[in-house]
Amino acid sequence: MIRLQGVTKRYPNGLLALNDVSFSMAEGEFVFLIGPTGAGKSTLLRLLYRADVASRGKVSVAGRDITRLPARQMPALRRSMGVVFQDFKLLPRKTAYENVAFAMQVTGTPPEEIRPRAMQALEVVGLADRADALPWQLSGGEQQRISIARAIVHQPPLLLADEPTGNLDPRTSWEIVQLLSRINLRGTTVLVATHNKLIVDILRQRVVELAAGTVVRDEDYGLYASHA
Amino acid sequence: MPEQRRRRSPLGVLSAALAYAGGEALAAFRRNGLMSAAAVTTIMVTLLPVGGAVALAANLRLMTTILERQVQVVAYLRDGISPQERDRLSAQVRALPGVRRVEFVGRDQALVRLQDALGERVSLRDVIETNPLPDSLEVALVNPREARPVADAVRQIGGVEDVAFGAQAVDRLLAVTGLLRTGGVAAGLLLGGVALIIIMNTIRLTIIGRRQEIEIMQLVGASPWYVRSPFMLEGVLQGLVATALAALVLIPGYILLLARARDVVPFLPLVHAPDLLPTLVVSLGLGGMLVGMSGSLLALRRFLHT
Ligand SMILES: Nc1ncnc2c1ncn2[C@@H]1O[C@H](COP(=O)(O)OP(=O)(O)OP(=O)(O)O)[C@@H](O)[C@H]1O
Ligand SMILES: [Mg+2]
Repeated sequence: MIRLQGVTKRYPNGLLALNDVSFSMAEGEFVFLIGPTGAGKSTLLRLLYRADVASRGKVSVAGRDITRLPARQMPALRRSMGVVFQDFKLLPRKTAYENVAFAMQVTGTPPEEIRPRAMQALEVVGLADRADALPWQLSGGEQQRISIARAIVHQPPLLLADEPTGNLDPRTSWEIVQLLSRINLRGTTVLVATHNKLIVDILRQRVVELAAGTVVRDEDYGLYASHA
Repeated sequence: MPEQRRRRSPLGVLSAALAYAGGEALAAFRRNGLMSAAAVTTIMVTLLPVGGAVALAANLRLMTTILERQVQVVAYLRDGISPQERDRLSAQVRALPGVRRVEFVGRDQALVRLQDALGERVSLRDVIETNPLPDSLEVALVNPREARPVADAVRQIGGVEDVAFGAQAVDRLLAVTGLLRTGGVAAGLLLGGVALIIIMNTIRLTIIGRRQEIEIMQLVGASPWYVRSPFMLEGVLQGLVATALAALVLIPGYILLLARARDVVPFLPLVHAPDLLPTLVVSLGLGGMLVGMSGSLLALRRFLHT
């Protein structure tokens, strides 16, 4: 599903954010991407949803080389994946339902399909009954669930999450990670960049650790800290 | 969740896209009321001097055209010319290129005109015994700039004794009217350019205020035209509303000014309101829409290249 081969990313200011990173993920896998601040986790995700371009190496998603994907083909790539952020990125003047429906409106979904699919996505995240609430009327965890509903409404095979629990208390973080696990169990490939030791240790999924832009550990059923 | 995509007609997709863009543009107009009001006001305020300049230019054009039309070549005919010969000459001159109209002025008529011009203070009859004036042909021109070549051609015709066209006066008049025209066009272009820059900046501010929306649209895979369309429609809408408001000022303003000007200088040739205002408002409207739309597009360019 995802393959990085010798990927290096140097920002225009000369900073080396990723240094010769190679790693791949099979379809249906769940991976935690961990590492200290500045290790390059967000940068790696940005290359995957093509918000940035690798300086060297090759990035492919779903068998397609997207290293230098032309702008014309970016909409198609973005529709084939969902992306979730620490700060939710909800439109403040739209209701929960409208935020989810927005993702379908702007991609030209036939109007009669929008309502049922948006409501279905809201049901998956357990917030169908809060469809008419505005973001400020929802808790942080609820807002994050709305943003997850928006990310999965196109039923993408791949879900990327950059510190989805960064702004949430431990209990809510746990709920969000469970939700991501459930989505993974339905067949979606999930890649989560996180600092959250607790959830990594409880879930015991595959762990890829970055440090200063290089992969220092890649372990199945891993813990947050290596036991070496 | 298996992906189910129904087959859809291109027309259906287009109408859904348009409905979406229209809805979003209207909603934005309502939601970002203050920013929209600022943009509309700016566009309106910049359209006003442009409209004023166009009205002024139209009047200058009319005046210069009328002035230039008065440039004519006069051919003085030999003494004792027969009526047949005179008709033949007249036809010959009329056949020349660049000649619009030829009028025969008999020497008696010329004397009457001269007396009219002198007024009642001087009586020609007291000064001269016989009429010294020759018969003449007054030649109106298609283009005042061709006065010299037409005069030269007329001079070649047998039976024409002398030709006059006020060479110096014509040259000066043409210089002045030319200056007025280029000046009008230059002022219009300058004002238009300034308006475009101001309007684009205003629209850019409204778009920067909605950067988050654009970012999310791109993130979920909206095609560039989907991202652009609501902003473009919004720009068009702003341009239209601004033009309507500008028209509310320009139309009564012009009618009022026209009435005042006619009171002060009654003989001045001025463009009638019905001849100018509909065209002016329609072209300002088109211009306003175009500027609103291109302003949106240009302002969006920065955000779409990420
Ligand atoms: N646009 C940019 N321009 C220049 N340097 C950048 C840019 N974005 C990130 N960096 C730098 O690249 C390095 C990696 O950043 P990145 O955001 O990928 O780290 P991270 O692992 O996500 O960190 P965190 O856990 O704090 O989110 C950092 O040193 C950061 O300062
Ligand atoms: Mg980060």
